[in-house]
Amino acid sequence: MSAKWAYALAILISVTIVIFYVLDPTKTTSVVSFSLRYAVPLILAAMVGIMCERSGVINIGIEGQMLMSAFAGFFGAALTGSLLLGTMIGVGTGMIMGAMLATGAVTWKMDQIIAGTIINILAAGLTSFFYAQGFTLPGITPTLRIPVLADIPLIGPVFFDNGLFTYAAIVSALLLWVLLFKTVWGLRTRSVGEKPSASDTSGIGVQKMRFWNVTIAGGLAGLAGAYLALEAAGTFERGLTAGRGFTALAIMIFGAWNPIGALAAAIFFGLTQGVASQLQTDAVVDIPPQFVNMLPYILTIVLLAIVSGRIKPPAAVGRPYEKD
Amino acid sequence: MHRKWGLAAAAAAAALVLAACGGSGGGSASSSSAGGGGGEGDCPGADAFCIGLVTDTGKVDDKSFNQSAWEGALEAAQASGGYAKYIETVDPKDYATNIGQFVSGGYDVIVTVGFLMGEATVAAAKENTGIQFIGVDQFQAEEIPNLTGLVFPEDKAGYAAGYLAGLMTKTNKIGAVLGTDTVPPVKLFGEGYKAGALAANPSASVTLVYHEPNNAFTDPEWGAAEAKKQLEQDHDIIFGAGGLTGNGALIEIAKAPGAGETIFCIGVDTDQFFTVPEAAKCLLTSAEKKLTLGTKDLVLMAKDGKAPGGNYFGLTGLAPYHDTEAAVPEDVKAKVAEVIAGLDAGTIATNVTLG
Amino acid sequence: MSTIDPAQTDLGITDPDPRRSGPLDRVPAIVIPVVSVLLAFAIGGILIWLQGVNPLFAYQVLFRDALGSVDGLERTMEKSTPLILTGLAVVVGLRAGLFNIGAQGQLLMGAIGAAWAGYNFTLPPLVHLPFCLIFGILCGAAWGSIAGALRAYRSVSEVITTIMLNSIAIALVDYLASRPLKEPDQPLSRTPLIAESAALPYIGPIPSGFILALVVAVFFGWLLVRTTQGFRFNTVGMNPGAARYAGISVKGTILLAMAVSGGLAGLGGAVETLGITGRFEPAFNIGLGFDGITIALLARANPLATIPAALLVGTLRAGSSSLQFQTGIEPEVVSVILALTLLFVSAPIVGKLLFRNRSIKQTTVTKGWGA
Repeated sequence: MSAKWAYALAILISVTIVIFYVLDPTKTTSVVSFSLRYAVPLILAAMVGIMCERSGVINIGIEGQMLMSAFAGFFGAALTGSLLLGTMIGVGTGMIMGAMLATGAVTWKMDQIIAGTIINILAAGLTSFFYAQGFTLPGITPTLRIPVLADIPLIGPVFFDNGLFTYAAIVSALLLWVLLFKTVWGLRTRSVGEKPSASDTSGIGVQKMRFWNVTIAGGLAGLAGAYLALEAAGTFERGLTAGRGFTALAIMIFGAWNPIGALAAAIFFGLTQGVASQLQTDAVVDIPPQFVNMLPYILTIVLLAIVSGRIKPPAAVGRPYEKD
Repeated sequence: MHRKWGLAAAAAAAALVLAACGGSGGGSASSSSAGGGGGEGDCPGADAFCIGLVTDTGKVDDKSFNQSAWEGALEAAQASGGYAKYIETVDPKDYATNIGQFVSGGYDVIVTVGFLMGEATVAAAKENTGIQFIGVDQFQAEEIPNLTGLVFPEDKAGYAAGYLAGLMTKTNKIGAVLGTDTVPPVKLFGEGYKAGALAANPSASVTLVYHEPNNAFTDPEWGAAEAKKQLEQDHDIIFGAGGLTGNGALIEIAKAPGAGETIFCIGVDTDQFFTVPEAAKCLLTSAEKKLTLGTKDLVLMAKDGKAPGGNYFGLTGLAPYHDTEAAVPEDVKAKVAEVIAGLDAGTIATNVTLG
Repeated sequence: MSTIDPAQTDLGITDPDPRRSGPLDRVPAIVIPVVSVLLAFAIGGILIWLQGVNPLFAYQVLFRDALGSVDGLERTMEKSTPLILTGLAVVVGLRAGLFNIGAQGQLLMGAIGAAWAGYNFTLPPLVHLPFCLIFGILCGAAWGSIAGALRAYRSVSEVITTIMLNSIAIALVDYLASRPLKEPDQPLSRTPLIAESAALPYIGPIPSGFILALVVAVFFGWLLVRTTQGFRFNTVGMNPGAARYAGISVKGTILLAMAVSGGLAGLGGAVETLGITGRFEPAFNIGLGFDGITIALLARANPLATIPAALLVGTLRAGSSSLQFQTGIEPEVVSVILALTLLFVSAPIVGKLLFRNRSIKQTTVTKGWGA
């Protein structure tokens, strides 16, 4: 989205939230909290997409990577009796799934969307096939209240009184932005995604760069999966990811392949979801709930149609690199 | 070249190890037959009593109605020395085919689970008059002698749970996180809950939120987020009714500070103290429909040729208080027991209808 | 890919490498998919064996049920029909450089549209059935056109809009089936039954929808490969710049491709309603559109190859309930076999195993986000 529109929208939304906060602080805070919570897996998953695509690799398998990691993370935590170990197993599984995509899409130069689709089908099949009942988590994930900051009205309880995964998601977005745009690694990554032949000439190992970026991004998908199973839902069930991996792709595009943009887009999407269910429960007007539930999606489409035209994906995304 | 294959092999090996790890936990849960081991699925012989169960699109370990019905079939098999087997439906268009597997396999009783399978069951029952059919959650408009619909007045269970919630709330705000309202039993639970709460406490505000129809019963993360939102809006008693989505709400409420003291949750369908142990701390009760018992009873009746045909109303009620026993005052317990008795006797009406 | 290479416009199973010729080189095109399927079944067999069941017995059961009887064959054909059509829907998009993730939503619109046309009108059979089919196609096409128009005229990625439109369609058909189009005097969310005159007949044991799907697939096999319109699609997909230079309306072609793609998915939904279910119910049709993506990728964007791909998936699905009944193996094993097949068909593994010394070039079926 173009910067001008993005700022205008952000200011408009913020002002609206503040007005509602003045009218009803409790309700507004809870709806905004809901948005962030809903956004956490979307933020992490969108970062996976951005990291891969900025390197020139489409990752449509985020959904499967998250699902597999959620599965491994949950059963890992339940069997080892440690949430920390479970999280590490989840992240590790995510990296293995990332390496699988990298092997297919980078090393083997497979069609990248096929490679991702394979991961999605495989993950849905395996996690359902090996699902077992009767396991519970050894405890609940700790929350961290940041002193002073948490006392700020509205912003405090929303952003500074959360579980560790939530902070991890926000930090990962900020960090990825810094890495992408302020470091040598970022410059190289972007050049590999925009003009691989030029980077190759200047001595950057295109294949190696892509392989490791996709693998490490898998670790973030693992974190998202671990969040879903260990903190958000507190359990693993079949199909736990419920399409969030695909929504994250939309958010990545919405955020114009920029980590900060995607962070904002994810929170915006969470906000529309929170408002939708609040409208339903408050029953201000008697509209069928299905229409309220459509609202976030319609709003996203309308917004994109208005601000369109300026979102461009990395130039080399989707194309395996062939040396000339 | 070698390096490429090495990576591929490593990835494949890791996937297999992962699969094997999951499998070690899953082995027992995924064994499908209660009686004879693997091999042919047909009923072993004319003397054997064979029960076949077809799930709705879902699995027999869904911690919800498919599982409860399957447990009932298993209990009936044990009680009668019979044999029980299931098929899990993947595609709703396979209902008839899956029922047909048991018909041609020579089964004596066929249980079909879920109101969506109603039509396929009626058709199969009319075609196979020698086989007894039991349709769980399937209301029978016309009476077919070899088909009994096991139905539940969900609104009564919801009403009783709502009544309890109305008496227990301190903030005068109670909530519910529900599956989609396009599924009648869910709506009956939800509306019954609201009616009961208002009957007990006319000044209370009752918040119901339904998931969108997509993934309505399999989105625990949404259920948890909604529950959290309601908690933050000072709701102190929340009803989670919508398969795994509702379970997500229950687990979230159990994490809240004050859970089991000032904050409570209410489960649905079965006694969720056992199916969602994570929520035990906050779980006041569950609005139960006694599916396992009803299925078992009907199967055993069918065995003796005494299945009534038409509709058989299963029992509903509230599960025991378990860990929150001490938190519920005696006079509340007495009042709720009175309401349940009144609902059963028909002296109290929920006045809930599906529009 | 900066020039239009005629060999490249055929994205199908045929080997795209123009350097290779001669009779022997045609072999891999047939051998690789077959070996891939066998390999996938072998690994699936290990999963089955881990569950304590003899894999050979399990596969025997699966195929006997899906293919060994008239009933089974009928079911396999019924299951393959919508998969051919949604697969084609995704193929048409891919040809024009569009990734239509929205076949599911378009299929739902077609299914409910055909249901409405089927119960709401009383017409003679020869008119009613085509009317319902066309209405279903139009509903799907209209839904697809939304994404097409946004892509063509507002440059909004069709990936994002079709994901959103899927969610909207699911909510919309749910509303329609539970309120305005609901069958009265019963509690379920569903439309009334369609009239007899709107039902797709069976020709012996063969569902006529299946034949229709085959005809449509052959038609698109011809259209996309042999006609000017197909050339336009391919050119816009391959190189929009060159297409513009050649005087092809890129925007118009994109819009048309999404409308055709949506129409095909809509036809898939209509055939389901008119041929199998007889009414619309939200629980039906789950996942058919997403399966279309798998089919299109298995078929490597070749319209004719959607037929064997859909038949493979249909066979596995049709046999899976018998598999569970006879052996207790969970139906999900089918998904695993499918994913592995897709892997072996697409990855260079099989080619390298069989033809060690040849470098087999990878074909890219999909493009990026249509930059």
